[in-house]
Amino acid sequence: MYDFYLPDVYPYLHKLPAALWVTIEISILATLLSSIMGVFLAIMRRSDSKVLRGVSTTYVEVIRNMPLVVLLYLIFLGLPAFGIVFSGYVSGLIALTLNSAAFMTEIFRAGLIAVPSGQFEAAQSQGMSRVTVYRYVILPQVLRTSYAPYGNQVIGVVMGSSIMMIATIEEVTAWMYNTGAVTYRYFEVFVVAGIVYLIVCQMANVARIMIGKALFKSAAAGGKW
Amino acid sequence: MPNNLKSPNDAAAQDEPILKVEGLVKRFGDTTVIKELSFEVQPGQVVVLVGPSGTGKSTFLRCVNGLEDIQGGKIIFEGEEVKARHSNITAIRRRIGMIFQNFNLYPHLTAVENVTLAPVKVLKESPESAKERAMELFRKVRLEHRATAYPGEMSGGEQQRVAIARALAMNPALMMFDEPTSALDPETVGDVLAVMEELAAEGRTMLVVTHEMAFADHVGDRMLFMDGGYVVEDGPPSELLNNPKNDRTRQFVNSVLKPEAAMKGTADSSEVPPNIAAR
Repeated sequence: MYDFYLPDVYPYLHKLPAALWVTIEISILATLLSSIMGVFLAIMRRSDSKVLRGVSTTYVEVIRNMPLVVLLYLIFLGLPAFGIVFSGYVSGLIALTLNSAAFMTEIFRAGLIAVPSGQFEAAQSQGMSRVTVYRYVILPQVLRTSYAPYGNQVIGVVMGSSIMMIATIEEVTAWMYNTGAVTYRYFEVFVVAGIVYLIVCQMANVARIMIGKALFKSAAAGGKW
Repeated sequence: MPNNLKSPNDAAAQDEPILKVEGLVKRFGDTTVIKELSFEVQPGQVVVLVGPSGTGKSTFLRCVNGLEDIQGGKIIFEGEEVKARHSNITAIRRRIGMIFQNFNLYPHLTAVENVTLAPVKVLKESPESAKERAMELFRKVRLEHRATAYPGEMSGGEQQRVAIARALAMNPALMMFDEPTSALDPETVGDVLAVMEELAAEGRTMLVVTHEMAFADHVGDRMLFMDGGYVVEDGPPSELLNNPKNDRTRQFVNSVLKPEAAMKGTADSSEVPPNIAAR
């Protein structure tokens, strides 16, 4: 029977907050950047231009079907062969952002499809420019329908950040392995890291619900998040 | 039947048409929906488009608004040619109010926000004056108590009246109604028609696709009966409804005015061949 003994890990807990902050920081950055990319790629997907549609579709299909680890290795270890060198942190952020953007695109694309064509027509019939139509009529509705799957993707980004360890980034998973390596208390640190991720994701979820309540006052939302 | 709602602009109106349609052709793939359409609308006129479904009435309105490409002919609005993908289309659309069968209100905005969005973002009005004007319009459509409601909280009739206020907020030179009451519960139809009647009485230029024959007769200055992609008959509504010259018109009028009208109809519609004899 395994003897679960947490006190061996205590001396290393003081390093956890810094690691946790790296996880949170890279997750927030990747979420924001990939959201912006996702909005533009989703709109490109609906463009009249074949080229823009093709770029968006190809991007999504290539990135979505490539494991995040492979993408990270390509950027962190592959690109230097061509003289392009990014730090571990930047490589991790790029990989996480590019990967998440593909999924964000699909989330926003589904949201765009869900907006009835009558909404575009009503807005156009009032003489709004394309940018105004999207900014004030379409995107707010896309945001509403995409909000729940979006939360899913935010959690996906946090989970994905655990792979950044292989690019030498000192986040929670890296803390877990390092602490395990010096204490031999792998099982204990796995449990600690698991709980930390659970708390981070729950916090993200609570934040999502609160932001949603502030954002969507319309009765059409029906108070469901 | 008297046209008691003649618009005040009528006298000055006869020279320069606000809308001119010349040989319009509209195809969807291999299907030609509008085969040939030519007519003019004078300022202040209320033109009612009637006819069986699938004859291109709604499609025609969409063409005027540049929501559809056209395959032949010309649409000229206030002297400017309407082209779906031309850069001037947004300027033309600002001058044309469009009312849709399904209202198409913006569901994430309140009624008053629906009305003020385009004046503020397109016409660059200040939010305060746009809101003031919106409240004025709500009084006109008798919805001042619903200004802060969301579309999802309103009945169809209320939503359609908000849509009318939204279109009026742009001060359009032409109002187009695409079957504005077809999606409504019967008891709310009257409220919407009453508002439209007031607009007509104010002398607004209106192009109305409708199946409400009593309204068309009462409010319309002119009725176009469309069938098979053509205008089959064009004249005062009372003339078309009471004394149709074309067999197809007669058949249609009999079928929509239902039992009473069908019984006193001038011809037995079953004997009328379905082709367009007049053309």
